[in-house]
Amino acid sequence: MRDVYLVSALRTPQAKSGMNLKDVPVPFLGTPLLRRIMDEHQLPNDGVDEVIVGNTGAPAKYPNISRVIALEAKLSDKTSAYTVHRNCASGMEALSQAFDKISLGRCDVIFAGGVESMSQMPLIYGKEMTEFFISLMKAKTVSDKMKIVSHFRPNYLSPVIAVEQGLTDPVCGLNMGQTAELLTRVHHITRQEQDEFANNSHFKAVQAQKEGKFDDEIFGVSYGLKLDKFLTSDVGPRAESTVEGLAKMRPYFDKKSGSVTVGNSCPITDGGSMCLLVSEDALKKYNLTPMARIVDYKFAGLGPDRMGMGPLVSTHALLKRTKMTLDQMDLVELNEAFSAQVLAVLKGFKDKKVASDYGIDEVMGELPLEKLNVNGGAVALGHPVGSTGSRLVVTLAHELKRRKAKYGLATLCIGGGQGGAMMIENFSY
Amino acid sequence: MVKAKNLSYEIKNKIAYVGFGYGDEKSMTTLSKDSLMELKDIVEEIHKKSTKEVAALIFFTHKENCFLAGADIKMIDGIKTEQDGVKGAESGQKIYNLIEDLKIPTVACVHGVCLGGGTELALSCRHIIVSDSPKTILGLPEVKLGILPGFGGTYRMPQRVPLHVALDLILAGKHVNGKKAVKLGLADEMYPKEKLLEMAETLFSKPKQFKQKSGLKASLEHMAKDNFITRKIIFQKARESVLKLTKGHYQAPLKILDVMEEGSGRGRESYLSMEAQAFGELCASEQSRNLRHVFFMMEGAKRYTGPAADAAKTPKLKRGAVLGAGIMGGGIAWLMAENKMMPMMKDLNLKAIELGLKQSGDNFFKSHIKKKLTRDEMERRQRSIYPQMDFKGFKSADLIIEAIVENIDIKKKVFSEAENYVRDDAILASNTSSLSVSQMSTALKRPERFAGLHFFNPVNKMPLVEIITHDKVAPEVVKALYDWVVSTKKTPVIVKNGPGFLVNRMLCPYMNEAAYLLAEGVPLKQIEDASLNFGMPMGPFRLMDEVGLDTLVKVGKILEEGLGDRTRACNLSEKVVELNYLGKKNNRGFYRYTEKGKEDGFNEELLAALKLPRIDLTEQKIQQRLFMPMINEASYILEEKIVENPIDVDLGMIFGTGFPPFRGGPLKYADSKGIDFILKVLQELQNEVSQARYAPSNFLLKMQKEKKKFYEYA
Repeated sequence: MRDVYLVSALRTPQAKSGMNLKDVPVPFLGTPLLRRIMDEHQLPNDGVDEVIVGNTGAPAKYPNISRVIALEAKLSDKTSAYTVHRNCASGMEALSQAFDKISLGRCDVIFAGGVESMSQMPLIYGKEMTEFFISLMKAKTVSDKMKIVSHFRPNYLSPVIAVEQGLTDPVCGLNMGQTAELLTRVHHITRQEQDEFANNSHFKAVQAQKEGKFDDEIFGVSYGLKLDKFLTSDVGPRAESTVEGLAKMRPYFDKKSGSVTVGNSCPITDGGSMCLLVSEDALKKYNLTPMARIVDYKFAGLGPDRMGMGPLVSTHALLKRTKMTLDQMDLVELNEAFSAQVLAVLKGFKDKKVASDYGIDEVMGELPLEKLNVNGGAVALGHPVGSTGSRLVVTLAHELKRRKAKYGLATLCIGGGQGGAMMIENFSY
Repeated sequence: MVKAKNLSYEIKNKIAYVGFGYGDEKSMTTLSKDSLMELKDIVEEIHKKSTKEVAALIFFTHKENCFLAGADIKMIDGIKTEQDGVKGAESGQKIYNLIEDLKIPTVACVHGVCLGGGTELALSCRHIIVSDSPKTILGLPEVKLGILPGFGGTYRMPQRVPLHVALDLILAGKHVNGKKAVKLGLADEMYPKEKLLEMAETLFSKPKQFKQKSGLKASLEHMAKDNFITRKIIFQKARESVLKLTKGHYQAPLKILDVMEEGSGRGRESYLSMEAQAFGELCASEQSRNLRHVFFMMEGAKRYTGPAADAAKTPKLKRGAVLGAGIMGGGIAWLMAENKMMPMMKDLNLKAIELGLKQSGDNFFKSHIKKKLTRDEMERRQRSIYPQMDFKGFKSADLIIEAIVENIDIKKKVFSEAENYVRDDAILASNTSSLSVSQMSTALKRPERFAGLHFFNPVNKMPLVEIITHDKVAPEVVKALYDWVVSTKKTPVIVKNGPGFLVNRMLCPYMNEAAYLLAEGVPLKQIEDASLNFGMPMGPFRLMDEVGLDTLVKVGKILEEGLGDRTRACNLSEKVVELNYLGKKNNRGFYRYTEKGKEDGFNEELLAALKLPRIDLTEQKIQQRLFMPMINEASYILEEKIVENPIDVDLGMIFGTGFPPFRGGPLKYADSKGIDFILKVLQELQNEVSQARYAPSNFLLKMQKEKKKFYEYA
């Protein structure tokens, strides 16, 4: 097994769906980042072995978005590229596959990341409408056509909203918000706790923006009808957020008795992220300086109705695998799909009873809040599903570097009942 | 069987194949006297054979990107008299008539460039099929050289496509790609190039006919062709639009209209003899000679003629970067993106970056609206510009062009900083329009890789780029920049460092004299009209508004400092600036402008505020005062070897200022007037107006003594 190094990590600014980045063709949430990293390190266009990109809702135009990103960035035609899908952890899945390929010695230079334009996820006609179209196309004579047309019913036109359907688990039938509601009930998470957590996420994100902490990790994106605007910071963090304000919002998923609101959940978002991972041979060959080393990763499953506890099970599995402790982590990026779900995971770290619900028979220890999502999380910054898995690693690597700290953990819950975790060791002091 | 050297000729399965571009190395095939003779022999031979021997004739090409690029322009340039021109056209017409008169099916398989005589040849075939290659273009561009298609093009084009389409193609000299050719009805079908010969055979059984389109538009078009009155209206409209576009300065399009209108309804013989006559007249005219001169200058400018450079050590400039994202920076970034250079565009803040993005974005968006770019392609190009506020990635750039504020100290600081972030073999260039490039070069550790690269505003429209050299620049750097400018389809001129370089230095006395004229009391309109009637694209005051009056005062000072009394600026422009009339930039100048920046008549308010006297001068006098000092300044430029060749002056002025191409450039114009005349006028003006501003240069006096023309110093 060879060591795997993270040389560069960049992301686009993230903007709430329907905002600044809504019309950016999805590949261009990845291409500029990739090209930028190539230029910065003067890598030759034929020097990349593989491009792996996570994405969950690719428009029909880009079935293999990764290859499009590679070609648009002017990598050599010979470059292999593929797209991966592991729901919310697609970006992390891309990184994990890059890790495996490099550590096994199959590849030396890989770009891995994720892109998502949730603004561009389509409205889909229902099954009846699709069948109506097909039989209409098959009909040969005018009278056949007329017969079929006469069967048309207006309700055929009601669309299936892909985003909505994608965020509903097909096995347990709950949508993601409902799984978060379930966690608040079984693990006793209050509305007040959630709103405070969410408010703090905004506060930290706004603070980080003010201090320019994202400047190194963000590379801007042009937008607008004439592409003459340039977005360089996240559209999401709200300086004017207050706990009181959040408290006024109505629960969204359980309108009568629930506590999960749009305000204490993450918004649907557009954005992309990209990392350059290489072997030691490549470090020497191209004279590269590593930012960090990827220590290891682990994915683990649990009941789909409790998907929000994914970070608990995957972090536990990863710590076991690496023989490390939670305490050794200097920073943790734990994705904030819902404030409720993060709070429940934090409970699971320190509470044996909660942990045992998920088959974990030990206490990992209390995670100090000053180590968690120090620059805010998805509640403020947003959650472009296919990208977040790698976006967490981008942010983590840059913050470890800034703090000259050693170990960092990125972990997130995955719709469908999984968790993913990746550990990195900072090399830039 | 006829033995041909310039064409391939063989008969296979009763089909005669004639191939162009056979047996030579050139990428573009042109019609020479020899190849025309061979063509004639071949067609005559086929005429004699029975249809049992030869059942069809196919024309095709052996070349990668060219079917037939038309007649060799050198051959046309060799025609000195009207009679020779008429004879030349008639001999070509005869051959093309022979092709048209063949009883067997004839097919032109057009792949690649097919222009002028090439398109005329295709038109004389029964069928035209085209390849789908982007290299395939058809058209009759003769008008651009001040002549007309003389091998039956004006006769056959309106037979194949509707009259208004034919007029549009011939009068504008437009070319169309394969797809458009089929759409217009010029070509029958489009196929992949590898399939052209195979598919040609499917046409043998089809009679020649128009693509009969149905619908109202088509029937109107047919009515137009047959109806005397509608035809009259179409010609009338075409004439009006030609006059509007050319302001009546160009003879060829008017002549073409005469021939096509008078000839319609006549038989082939009678029509073609009119066409040949008109061809002869135009060919021998001075205007066409000048336009051909411009063509040769342009072609010549594609080859590097600067200081001898080692080709092996001349870098290829593939990646670009721009420092400063303003109007010029954004324009240059657009040019780089358009040429697939994925430029980095650095500026200090977001506002500046968005100003740069607006320049390039507007250009790409306009192309998209005009359907020249798909939205995808527009996104791709605009997004290939990488805006940034740091120097990251600059090590990947081969060419870095600076376009920041015109201040020598700031520029020097930026260059010495930038040098730390770029590769040792990268080339740095400054888009300065007035500052000393030599002085700037002192800021660099490696001045040999630095030069001036002066683009004109707006970058997307202005074809000229001045490459400014200095003592320390390496010839390989000059050559690399030259080759790069050519590759972006712009025209480079190599200019030695000096006040105003070439174009601005030539414009200075011109605009200065205009200001003096106005101050003396000549009405603004008279001055503007005199310049327009000479053929300039805009009058001097309109130009001043465009440049900006404050910029003009600044540049004027630099020139006065460098060149002395003869360029002493008229104090009028300073007064205008004091009154806060800065030109188009603040929508207040010698003209008024609407909020959208559209010109809206003279600015009477300013003229009243200037309290000018009132005198009248003849148009001729005004023109002499505007253009004679320009010619005088050009002679200084040649004497100081700022440029090497009179051609550079003429190229620079035509492509940098729109000096009327039909006059061939200021020095070609001067040569046509003769040195004695130039000196006589200058000396007159010297006595009447100003000793300092009109005193002829030593170079001019030497010319008179040696009885030479400017072009004899080439």
